[in-house]
Amino acid sequence: MKRTLVSAAAITAAIGLALTGCSGAPAQQDDDGPVTLSVSVWNMEQTPEFQALFDAFEKANPDITIEPVDILADDYSEKVTTMLAGGDKTDVLTMKNVTDYARYANRGQLLDVSDVVESLGADNLAGIEPFDLDGEYFSVPYRQDFWLLYYNKGLFDAAGVEYPDHISWDEYKSLAEQLTGETGGQKVFGTYHHYWRSVVQAIAAAQTGGDLLSGDYGFMEDQYSLALDLQTGGNALDFGTAKTQQISYRTMFETGQAAMMPMGTWYISGIAAAIESGASTVDWGVAPMPQIDAGDETVTFGSPTAFAVNKNSEHQDAAKKFLEFAAGEEGAKAIAAIGVVPAFSSDDVTAAFTALPTDDLSVTTFSEPKDVVLEMPVSEYSSDISTILDEEHELIMVGDTSIPDGIATMDERVTGDVLE
Amino acid sequence: MSVISTLPEVDRLADELTPPAAGRPVTAKRRGPRLNPAKRVILYVLLAALTLLIFVPFFWMVSSSLKHNNQVFSIPIQWVPTEFVWSNYVDIWTRIPLLTYLKNSLFLSVTITFLQVLTGSFAAYGFSKMRFKGRDVLFVIYIATIAVPWQAYMIPQYIMMQNAGLVNTHLSIILLQAFGAFGVFLMRQYYMSIPDELSEAARIDGLNEYRIWWRIILPLTKPALASLALLTFVSTWNDYMGPFIYFTSNDLWTVQIGLRSFVGQFDAEYAMIMTGSVISVIPIVIVFLLGQRFFIQGIATSGLKG
Amino acid sequence: MAIAATRAPVRQQSRARARRNALVGWSFILPNFIGFAVLTLIPMGAAFVIAFMEWDSYSPPEWVGVENFERLLGDQSFWIALGNTAYYAAGHIPLTMLAALGLALLLNKRIRGLGFFRTTMFFPYITSLVAVAVVWNMLFNPTMGPINQFLEWIGVQDPPGWTTTSAWSMPAVIITSVWRDMGYYMVLYLAGLQAIPQEYYEAAEVDGANAWQRFWNITIPSLRPTTFFVLIMVTIASFKVFDLIVVMTDGGPGRSTLVLSQLIYREGIRENRFGYSSAISLVLFLIVLVFTVVQFRIQKRKED
Repeated sequence: MKRTLVSAAAITAAIGLALTGCSGAPAQQDDDGPVTLSVSVWNMEQTPEFQALFDAFEKANPDITIEPVDILADDYSEKVTTMLAGGDKTDVLTMKNVTDYARYANRGQLLDVSDVVESLGADNLAGIEPFDLDGEYFSVPYRQDFWLLYYNKGLFDAAGVEYPDHISWDEYKSLAEQLTGETGGQKVFGTYHHYWRSVVQAIAAAQTGGDLLSGDYGFMEDQYSLALDLQTGGNALDFGTAKTQQISYRTMFETGQAAMMPMGTWYISGIAAAIESGASTVDWGVAPMPQIDAGDETVTFGSPTAFAVNKNSEHQDAAKKFLEFAAGEEGAKAIAAIGVVPAFSSDDVTAAFTALPTDDLSVTTFSEPKDVVLEMPVSEYSSDISTILDEEHELIMVGDTSIPDGIATMDERVTGDVLE
Repeated sequence: MSVISTLPEVDRLADELTPPAAGRPVTAKRRGPRLNPAKRVILYVLLAALTLLIFVPFFWMVSSSLKHNNQVFSIPIQWVPTEFVWSNYVDIWTRIPLLTYLKNSLFLSVTITFLQVLTGSFAAYGFSKMRFKGRDVLFVIYIATIAVPWQAYMIPQYIMMQNAGLVNTHLSIILLQAFGAFGVFLMRQYYMSIPDELSEAARIDGLNEYRIWWRIILPLTKPALASLALLTFVSTWNDYMGPFIYFTSNDLWTVQIGLRSFVGQFDAEYAMIMTGSVISVIPIVIVFLLGQRFFIQGIATSGLKG
Repeated sequence: MAIAATRAPVRQQSRARARRNALVGWSFILPNFIGFAVLTLIPMGAAFVIAFMEWDSYSPPEWVGVENFERLLGDQSFWIALGNTAYYAAGHIPLTMLAALGLALLLNKRIRGLGFFRTTMFFPYITSLVAVAVVWNMLFNPTMGPINQFLEWIGVQDPPGWTTTSAWSMPAVIITSVWRDMGYYMVLYLAGLQAIPQEYYEAAEVDGANAWQRFWNITIPSLRPTTFFVLIMVTIASFKVFDLIVVMTDGGPGRSTLVLSQLIYREGIRENRFGYSSAISLVLFLIVLVFTVVQFRIQKRKED
């Protein structure tokens, strides 16, 4: 009986493997005549930039129709990974982050699109560097988000303090203390730190020159003690509550429960829409991220979003055409119009960006030159290290380990388990 | 040797073991254990307390579904909304194609439940009432597969489906879930509790196996069939990962994916999620109440049932 | 001898009957088995072979023998996940079974509003997971949550931090999962209870047995097949626990609620190390198999 079991298992396994092996090479079709191009996107309804891009592209290319493949944002990478593993033929793939990009590109799942980058000019595209894999590009960035400080002008005025113009972290902390209080029976926190680890770790890495892949994380110490001080002092919502209640940072800011909030530029289109629809009445502005030392030089972090062509695509020429359009000036103007920060920069694009408040500080925050460090450096270890940093971040923030112990564990686990 | 030796007698026995037809009066005497008044009061108090305790989260769900999105997570917790936003229940139908999602979920759940109950109880008869070589080995394989987490063979399965051209069709999920080992195991356990003498007797009287299954065993196991149907229906209805991996076109989506699509990349519309959750629960409550009838019928039967 | 002479045709006859029996038996099983074999057995077999390979789904798989299993032994996350899974099972199995049986007994009575109460008890199971996670995390909130407010009210000095601390996150998850699953297994128990002939109880009552004796001598033994089924299902479900933890704590804080199936998902679907992920599945499978076989053995001994 045992033997039959084993042989049955062997046979089933053999059939299974035979099936897995037979995904053939795609047949390239002629791209003359009408083409339908499938593009993987997330939360189409809530991410208006996709529709804006598709409408503009279809108008410019009447013989190409875009068919969005709508995927849930939370599970986007898992789904795309599964699709690619199964030999899916979706033509254009949106790269939600650089780590996924490196993975797909290194595995040979993406088409070389260096010629598209060349025709657009790499210099015109912000955030292009991490896509360079030994001189070849497998993806073109179309938007480049960076982090800045949102603040509630009404709460600043009420507390009688000045707007956070190029401040240091020390000033930031004392502002947070001054702004904490109560208005209309509602608790107001001086600032809100969302529970993502980047809020502490990526900003520390960017401003101290630390490397998140190094296995040596002493550089995070100051930023952690700032974050913990703010939360124990009651000047920021505590991490445990924010995380387990899945607090929406939008709610914190839009209902005036937080006077300041470090966040990415993607939120500009969000808050602009909330105010336009009447869901929020917050008088808001943006300022540069606080720095270690106050001054005009701004160092922050950010992350690009890009389009790539699936190697299994049957419409590669049309797909490239889409990339060139979306990452180029036309695409940039289309998304800038709804408040999304495009990777492609030109005067026309800047003029199209109208969602921003018009006060000097907000305008300077955007127009001044700044150093935008990549949120998470790319290597084959990025994803594993990211998991470890996430886990230890939680333990430090809920107070289960002290800062030095937590950092020591990060060092130990990253060097011992991943880098070896 | 069996006492029963003629076909009419088997029929009478089977009839005795079958729940009474709808409309036939059921004597109160047979409906479950009786209680004296004092015990009854204690029981009611206990049940009421338990109900309250268990109902708290659902209450919160309903209350949140009547708030504005940005009021769901207020500090401190707001159990009753200050302003009732009934419009959530109107808006949700236009915000997402909820009707399509409900239809898809219903179609999948009904089809899968039907196939699972049918093939499951059919196979269970083979596993419990027939004796043949290899039966027990096969059964062990069945149970063993229940122990393997789906995440482990998700990818090989997906690759097979992709090669068969079934990805992004409702058929893929129907095929994946209709032939589960769970139903076979559940039904077999209930069939095991039916005395073998019953089928032996029927056999001697010349009934073939298929008729024994259809005429005797199936009617006897109505409560079990009802539970299997209910549990299959609920797990299909609430399944998220399966439809998520296999359906890419929006018009194939189920209610669960529809709900999850509210949880955006950088934002969440919690009130809408709760509105959707409340609506998504309603069909299951209806199915459960329908299933109740079978449970109660089960109690009301004579013979093997109490 | 005379007997020997008659034996041959009998044997032939019985062999023919055995063959016929097998044929009919298979015909019952086949409709389910075909679907099951093609869609579950084959991919599962493939996954177990992959456990001995290094494979990222795109490049051809490479045979590496037991390398994945060696790596497993040195992987701290694996041991933590294994421990957490055992912790969860040890809490979830007995509590769920007790709660489910208790509810089923309470609701197997002849009272008004039975349907309403049964539906209520089943509610947790049918509520969407997103809502479950959200509301329980709220109830468990260490400072503002009703649970801790209640604990403080009854005089607990230092109530636990529940899902915001590594020490209490697993108990919080177990409580939530018992709340969610008890209605499900209650349905199974109810179906089992209704299969007990009422005459047994009536006869016992005539003999003067009290309620406890009737419960112990009639209900419990009659429920044995159901209890066995429930035990197997709860055990397997506990070892495979995935979605509730993902939505509620996502393994955190730190790795305090990280369980094996989550590690399998993470390594397989997220990191694309299908070989390593399959190796963990194989280990999980073997553990559950051992438990199930032991339970089958015990059950068999009781039946004999």
